[in-house]
Amino acid sequence: MVAIDPILLHILLIAISGTLICTAVHFIPVGGAPAAMAQATGIGTGTVELAAGSGLVGLITASYMYANGPAPGIPPSMVMVLAAGAMGSMVMLASTMFAGSLVYAYGVAVPFASAQVKKDPITGERQDLYMSKGTQGHGLPTICFVSGVIGAALGGAGGGLIYYVLMQIYSPYIAASAAAVAGVFTMGVFYVNAVIPSYGVGGTIEGVHDPKFRRVIGKDVITSFFVSLICGVVAVFIAQGMIA
Amino acid sequence: MSDIKERSPNQLMIFGIIGGLLGIYLTFLLPLIGDKIHGTIGEIINTIAPVAGALGAICAVMWGADAVRRVAKYGLGTGVPSIGQIAMGMGIIAAMFGLAIVKKNIIAGPIVAVATASIIGFIIGWFAQNVIKMKIPVMIRCMTEIAASGTIIIIGFSAAVAGNFEFGNIVNLVFDNGIMLVVFWVGAMAILHPFNACLGPDEKQKRLLYLAGSTGAITMAIVGLAAIMTLGASGVITMLLGIVLWLIFYKKFWDEVYNDASSVVGTGLIPKTEA
Repeated sequence: MVAIDPILLHILLIAISGTLICTAVHFIPVGGAPAAMAQATGIGTGTVELAAGSGLVGLITASYMYANGPAPGIPPSMVMVLAAGAMGSMVMLASTMFAGSLVYAYGVAVPFASAQVKKDPITGERQDLYMSKGTQGHGLPTICFVSGVIGAALGGAGGGLIYYVLMQIYSPYIAASAAAVAGVFTMGVFYVNAVIPSYGVGGTIEGVHDPKFRRVIGKDVITSFFVSLICGVVAVFIAQGMIA
Repeated sequence: MSDIKERSPNQLMIFGIIGGLLGIYLTFLLPLIGDKIHGTIGEIINTIAPVAGALGAICAVMWGADAVRRVAKYGLGTGVPSIGQIAMGMGIIAAMFGLAIVKKNIIAGPIVAVATASIIGFIIGWFAQNVIKMKIPVMIRCMTEIAASGTIIIIGFSAAVAGNFEFGNIVNLVFDNGIMLVVFWVGAMAILHPFNACLGPDEKQKRLLYLAGSTGAITMAIVGLAAIMTLGASGVITMLLGIVLWLIFYKKFWDEVYNDASSVVGTGLIPKTEA
């Protein structure tokens, strides 16, 4: 393996994790205001709220994992932190979607149907039969749920990765406050990378099966990668400023 | 829209930058003066110094809210809150960078932070316009302004809590105890709420600016509450002044709403028809 300068590696890892968060947002079935009235498929709130909600839970679980290494003072491996982040996010988003589905099914009383595909790619059920006239689908069909859980895993892993990298950078300089500084910086990067794709998708997306997914993911990922690269450079410079 | 007199974007930008930076720098300069003057007056000056940071942040809130208004008018497709959150996201990254990178030259921190925020905002705006192709003509300019105002808000309120804007001090008094999250969230609310609440066909800048003043002031009151924990007496002044400003701005907003609302005419009960 080619040896990479550790600083360069840190910057690259932050750029990759930003890109992961950006990709994650595309997987999450976001319906926005129309979905809140059960007139579009997805969860009835905004992209940023969902991505941030699940991502920040992922950040909490990732930081908990980081703080509880195999021995005091020794952090666990990167894979463990990423997995913890992904798990926290998945649990959060899955429970959000489950609770939302209960409301859609038993409160609003709509069958779950997607407007973007004729048959659910996972269950093979016909979708168009269950669509109400004048709506863009409603509820959360199986494919949306699965896509959302995958997205949450990517987002949580992305958040966990930034946190892990930042802790590696900051811990030598400010041992006690590193967690707070790394956490807040991660939140900043998270929001930037959650909003960029939400502009790309224009507010609503059903998930991986939506034709919009293929149309917008390329340019969003490019944008996110470059913006996160800048964030990575900035993060490394902050560490330089900490050297008294 | 053209017959209504509005504050131009440049006017508000100057107001936000000058007012914001002035407030932030006063938290640094007033103690220098206060230390020279001994006795009670010196102590009073030292106590009121952090309040200036919050006042500066209110200027930036009004500027930022107007920038949000200009860009969100085009319809972002994601709701107005997203832009408030990206503002704080960019703001916090730039603020941490600006304050940390200057090391011992504390005085340069806020200016470096605002410059960094403008660059990050410009880049994100450029990508949004040219790569994501959002087709919003004011995107680049507004993104730059929003990022810069977000940074001033973060530094201003942080300085109000920490007493000054030295990075180590802010880490100890704002980051470690989690007050940063309050500054982040309530600051985001302050910048996004005015347009989110006022948007619509009869939206007017004057009304929005008064509401921005009131959200900024209520943020100042909340930050003051947090500052009581870290600074004591200064926090009490910040909180009380915040509440007073909130009442003033909210009353003005209230008056504007009444002014702009269609007149409600009492017609009395429906008259009984004679058969």
